[in-house]
Amino acid sequence: MELTFTVNGRTVNVDVPGGTTLLDVLRGSLQLTGTKEGCVEGECGACTVLVDGRPVDSCLYAAHAAEGRAITTIEGISTDGELSALQRALVDTGGVQCGFCTPGFVITLTALLEENPTPIEDEVRAAIVGNICRCTGYTQIIDAVMETVEGGR
Amino acid sequence: MTTVGTRSARGDGPVKVSGSAMYTVDFSLPGMLVGLVLRSPVARGRISRLDVEQARRIPGVWAVITAADAPGHRSGLAIKDQPLFAVGAVTHEGEAIAAVAAESAEAAQAAIDAIELEIEPEDPVVDLDFAASDDAPLVHPDWANFEAVGEDFPRRGNVCAEMLADPAGVDEAFGRASRVVEGEYRAGRQYQAYLEPRGVVAEYRGGRYTVHVSHQFPFNVRDRMAAALGVRPSGIRVIGHHIGGGFGAKLDLGIEVHAAMLARAAGRPVKLVNERTEDLLTCQCREDAIVRLRSAVDAEGRVLARDMDVLLDAGAAATDAPFLASIPLLLAAGPYRVGPTRVRARAVYTNTAPTGAFRGVSGTHLIFALERHIDEIARSLDIDRRELRLNNLKEDGDALLNGQVLEDASILREAFDRVEEVAPWQTLGKGELRGVGMAACVWLTNPMPGSVVLKVNEDGTLGVVTAATENGSGAVSMGISQIAAEELTLPVEAVVVSMPDTDSAPYDAGSQGSRTTHIVGRAIGSAAEVLREQIYEIASGLLEAAPEDLELVDGRVGVKGSPGADVSLAEVARAATAAGKSLAATGSYATPPPRFDPTCATGLLFPVFPTPTYHVHLAEVSVDPVTGRVTVLRYVVAQEVGKVINPAGVVGQVQGGVAQGIGYALYENLEIGRDGRYRQRTLETYRLPLAVDVPNVEVMLLEHPDPAGPFGAKGVAEPPVVPVAAAIANAISDAVGAPINTLPVLPGNVLDALDRANKV
Repeated sequence: MELTFTVNGRTVNVDVPGGTTLLDVLRGSLQLTGTKEGCVEGECGACTVLVDGRPVDSCLYAAHAAEGRAITTIEGISTDGELSALQRALVDTGGVQCGFCTPGFVITLTALLEENPTPIEDEVRAAIVGNICRCTGYTQIIDAVMETVEGGR
Repeated sequence: MTTVGTRSARGDGPVKVSGSAMYTVDFSLPGMLVGLVLRSPVARGRISRLDVEQARRIPGVWAVITAADAPGHRSGLAIKDQPLFAVGAVTHEGEAIAAVAAESAEAAQAAIDAIELEIEPEDPVVDLDFAASDDAPLVHPDWANFEAVGEDFPRRGNVCAEMLADPAGVDEAFGRASRVVEGEYRAGRQYQAYLEPRGVVAEYRGGRYTVHVSHQFPFNVRDRMAAALGVRPSGIRVIGHHIGGGFGAKLDLGIEVHAAMLARAAGRPVKLVNERTEDLLTCQCREDAIVRLRSAVDAEGRVLARDMDVLLDAGAAATDAPFLASIPLLLAAGPYRVGPTRVRARAVYTNTAPTGAFRGVSGTHLIFALERHIDEIARSLDIDRRELRLNNLKEDGDALLNGQVLEDASILREAFDRVEEVAPWQTLGKGELRGVGMAACVWLTNPMPGSVVLKVNEDGTLGVVTAATENGSGAVSMGISQIAAEELTLPVEAVVVSMPDTDSAPYDAGSQGSRTTHIVGRAIGSAAEVLREQIYEIASGLLEAAPEDLELVDGRVGVKGSPGADVSLAEVARAATAAGKSLAATGSYATPPPRFDPTCATGLLFPVFPTPTYHVHLAEVSVDPVTGRVTVLRYVVAQEVGKVINPAGVVGQVQGGVAQGIGYALYENLEIGRDGRYRQRTLETYRLPLAVDVPNVEVMLLEHPDPAGPFGAKGVAEPPVVPVAAAIANAISDAVGAPINTLPVLPGNVLDALDRANKV
């Protein structure tokens, strides 16, 4: 199955068997390993990417559904090595520990801030119920969002 | 101090937030094959047929191996009881039976499917009490032939280790007690559920194995692999990558050795990564346990004597359970004064996956039992629960039951006071179906050895060569980085810490028991002393001044009292290199064991709690009488840490530890069926705490610098998980008005308790 879509603004063309997930295309064919595979059942959110700006679990998203769409992965969030305000805040607040869940959180929270630039804490907690972090207890991740919101004011 | 004590950003932060950090699951080698393991679907049985010939003929399959291709001996951490593949019989679900390496995942799966395996199932030994009894079938009928790794210890049949302390005066005190309080406390297993599944990339070239891992203890991988394969340790090179969480589960040997055998058999590198269910089924989870407590108390609530009996579920291999069997003795009094205490702890083989280390080893269920028991004592005597604790609190100079004296135990009272300041006990848990609970404990800092090499690079940066691992805690990317920077008066950005490599780094005992910042930080301090002398020696030539007149300020070497007469570290390093000298020094440290009474118990393999720290936790909860759901309204921690190296890092460890404790207390349920198989097998059914489940933990850090620690730092990261289930279960019991003595406390358990208390 031949597919054409964009990843982080670049047009890509892949030929994969039917039934391949978007995650497998990203990590396998395209070697974009920033998107993580944690559970392959849509529970942990480590594989979250943006499809036309909307966060999805790429482990459950059929690659063929990406045809013609714009995919953004964690590699597309920093521009020219420059971290986004949210990424910087995650580092500064301690919102990163082992880091394996972090790409998924960055993607989910980038989408949240795009849609709602001034969320309150409960809205942030609700936005990340599909992302599991085993290290932080979430507080410093939420602190990072609040710091980003403050910095944007 | 300019770096220690500051919120310096962690060194690995930028690569982690941008997705460029490479974990083992992301790592590839040219020509790499895909590995897969065939695992037992049943908990116990005889292998009546195992034929891999068809599998070997499948195109694209490069290797198929079984017990017939592996060394015949067993190995292990404490007892040599683990084969590499099942031999004749299977002893737990998920036990490795065969492994394949193929050019694609599809070919590997086809090979697994083509292996002809027949197992005659037998009734598994699952129930802990039954397993420990004389009537139970033996999990390992040939247990007596299994050697201990070190000196042997008491064990018999399914009891793979027994620790017994039986001091004089226990029965006599029970005889004169005004009251005897009894309780039985049970806790289930807990899956570490790190987000990066266990993985390994292995190669075999020129007679040596190289394994790429995300492992907490690379030197243990080397040594355990060497023992399992029967080769010398230096025949194995272990290279560490970023670790996607471990929490203790990535301390022992796992699939690394299977990947290595496959790579050798195939003649090509092999990558082996657990699928999530496979990872859950084979992970060395926190052990389930039963704790039975009896306390003889007087009318004032003093514990005159205590009797504690603990059963720990080792699963089908001992792993570290013989060491864990010592911990009940170290915790049985806890932070309180108690009379003579009899403690028997047995680690028991069952036909379930071997259990092992999880942050706060055994402490979580032991403190749950002990602190629930204290609440029960208070309730039976109608004494306020906090007051009872304060009345019996240990003071400076009091000893643990092993005879180890706690010189600074009065920190406990300070911790209780600090909690009271922000969360006044009498004001909390008021109102219908609200409750408050507290729990306290003494915990240790792991004393095991670590070494580092410090070197000044020619650009003036400081290289730290170490096998210490950054498991996410920040111990490397903040703790030892900031300590190294401080020692050389450099900004933390000028410190470059190596990734672990057992070929080039000196020995380190891995990220366990909060040891990294304390032990490796101290080793850095020793190395820095020598390094500064080397620096002054070279600089004295450049500055034409005596070495003893030199000082390091802001990363430059200057002459004391002569502003402007200085050189940069880069200039010194280049001068040293040009002169054929090196600016490099090693440092090592291991905590000297505190004195204890070796006659206090038998089977005491883990006898002391070095570098103790003190902890008081408070939880306020509400319960929903319709759904049984528990909401944690407030969670307060007062923790003694010696010295804060990085406030953001320390607070993050406490918050994260509490979140794992909340999961253990309320959500994480790993049931074992009568068939010996886990009921929960995915992250959908094994319920981890989510952002909406965890409150903002209020953290108060107490600093009592340890003269032996780097800038006074003690261990931090492990203990915040320990008292959480205890504090929460006490709060729930208070809210519902009936004792809750089983973990996890699921909504159904809450509703049952409400029933018992006639509140619904």
